[in-house]
Amino acid sequence: MDLLQNTVSSFIALVPVTLAQSLILAFVVLGIMIPFRMLSFPDLTSEGAFPLGGCVCGVLMAAGMSPLAAILIALLAGFVAGCCTAFIHLRFRIHTLLAGILMMTMLYSINLRIMGRSNLSVFGSTTIFDWVPFLQPGFPASKIVMAGAFGLLVFALLLHYFRTEKGTAVRAVGANPDMAEAQGINVWLATIGGVGLAGAFSAAGGALMVQSQGFADVNMGLGILINGLAALMIGEAIVGKSSVPRQLAAPFVGAIVYYQLVSFCLAAGMPPPDLKLATGLFVLAMLALPSLKRSRGPAAARETIRE
Amino acid sequence: MLEIRSARKMFYKGQADEKTALNDLSLRLETGDFGVVIGSNGAGKSSMLNAISGALVLDSGKVLINGDDVTAMPVHKRAMRLARVFQDPMKGTAASMTVAENMLLAELRAARRTLRRGLNPTRLAAYKERLSLLGLGLENRLDTRVELLSGGQRQSLSLIMAVGGSPELLLLDEHTAALDPRTADIVMQATIRAVEALKLTTLMVTHNMQHAVDFGNRVIMLDAGRVRLEIAGREKAAITVPDLIGHFSVKTDRMFLAS
Ligand SMILES: Nc1ncnc2c1ncn2[C@@H]1O[C@H](COP(=O)(O)OP(=O)(O)O)[C@@H](O)[C@H]1O
Ligand SMILES: [Mg+2]
Repeated sequence: MDLLQNTVSSFIALVPVTLAQSLILAFVVLGIMIPFRMLSFPDLTSEGAFPLGGCVCGVLMAAGMSPLAAILIALLAGFVAGCCTAFIHLRFRIHTLLAGILMMTMLYSINLRIMGRSNLSVFGSTTIFDWVPFLQPGFPASKIVMAGAFGLLVFALLLHYFRTEKGTAVRAVGANPDMAEAQGINVWLATIGGVGLAGAFSAAGGALMVQSQGFADVNMGLGILINGLAALMIGEAIVGKSSVPRQLAAPFVGAIVYYQLVSFCLAAGMPPPDLKLATGLFVLAMLALPSLKRSRGPAAARETIRE
Repeated sequence: MLEIRSARKMFYKGQADEKTALNDLSLRLETGDFGVVIGSNGAGKSSMLNAISGALVLDSGKVLINGDDVTAMPVHKRAMRLARVFQDPMKGTAASMTVAENMLLAELRAARRTLRRGLNPTRLAAYKERLSLLGLGLENRLDTRVELLSGGQRQSLSLIMAVGGSPELLLLDEHTAALDPRTADIVMQATIRAVEALKLTTLMVTHNMQHAVDFGNRVIMLDAGRVRLEIAGREKAAITVPDLIGHFSVKTDRMFLAS
């Protein structure tokens, strides 16, 4: 009883902090969802784009740049990274996952070059969270308000975009690239732009994270992809993915629920080092579920990447 | 008008399993012509259509549409001038998108896509009307994802999508071959109606000799990557299935497994 009470009370105490964190990381989940679901382009770039955004933002803030400008430039850097992954895939016909691995490996060196060292404190620099009126800077509330507002804005813009003529064309590229091409859609442009956009969101998540935690670290992306994927799966299980609004809401809902879940597990005494194993098993289970449901017969010896 | 000049395409060039798909193929189709293409498996029919649409890059030769050389143009640019229906119903539509969204994609094939909302009430009403011509009830399923439709419904949708906007050239690659006879008939009737009503310049590949006799004003027989026989005008109008089969066996003796 005591254990349960302790768990619950320490979990509840962490709810606001976790919520702030999850609203920031929702951008990364968005950066994973867009290539994966909208473009059928399973992509790993976010694992490199997230720290890239963080490092760029950190260096610029340390140099005295305004926090908003730092975020925008980080976003641009992430966009370029995403574009590179898509280009590598399209031009050299390298599998999307391999293209992403190449990109994130190279980005590690680039991130180190950008910062000149493995971590950088930006403590004391003004962040966009300091701009929230009426709230004490540095507390979760200001982060929740700021990251939440950003998230809502991005959600609304994307929702509008994917229903426009151009956005519908981008979705067609994900649904059936041959058909899209035959309908006059430039598949290269849509893929590069879309994966670039996703990279920009991952980098934005990294930049916001650096402003939130007060330092940048080249290793801050470690495992972010699998966390993001887990969050996406949860989000899709909750709100579904059958329509554009649902598919776009899934990353946000998923991030919020997933990080609270993690926080609960930690409060319940799960050793932090086991977290990645647990997350990995969870994602595996979510991915395996459809095939387990479908049939009990033997699976094909080899199959193309599922989902 | 469509013109193919000495098109050549070889797969696995220089290797043991070298395959000639197009071997100095030339063809001319006047505006308003409805050419029916026949030929055995592997004759190069699909390759020819792919070369016209840009999906296949030629080793040499030229493709001209209404006098413009489109040989170097990528698929998505040529799509402004031509539309296709594939044999496989899965290929011509976006499965995870709705009927209305698919119609929108087709409507914008030759247009500049803007940042305005795609599906508006005017468009939805127009799609409803066009789909109702098929008599398959698709007009009441605008919000249905295409993956939930039957093969015949999907193929009919592909056809309506292709003929909308009156493309300069319509390419049909055995587009009823994968359907059951009754549905194939519906789709073929709809095809003929659209081609005649809109006076579309059309190239239709078929395995069905009766279709080659009944439809079109020109029969084009391919063999081993080139045009072996072309029948047009009065001769075409008078031709019968036995005549065609006769031509087939005279020209080559290794055909006909499929018909
Ligand atoms: N993508 C490809 N790779 C290798 N060979 C091909 C390819 N496409 C067609 N071919 C070959 O080219 C020849 C013509 O094929 P195709 O145009 O599909 O014939 P048809 O449509 O008349 O049945 C065949 O020998 C076929 O094996
Ligand atoms: Mg064929």
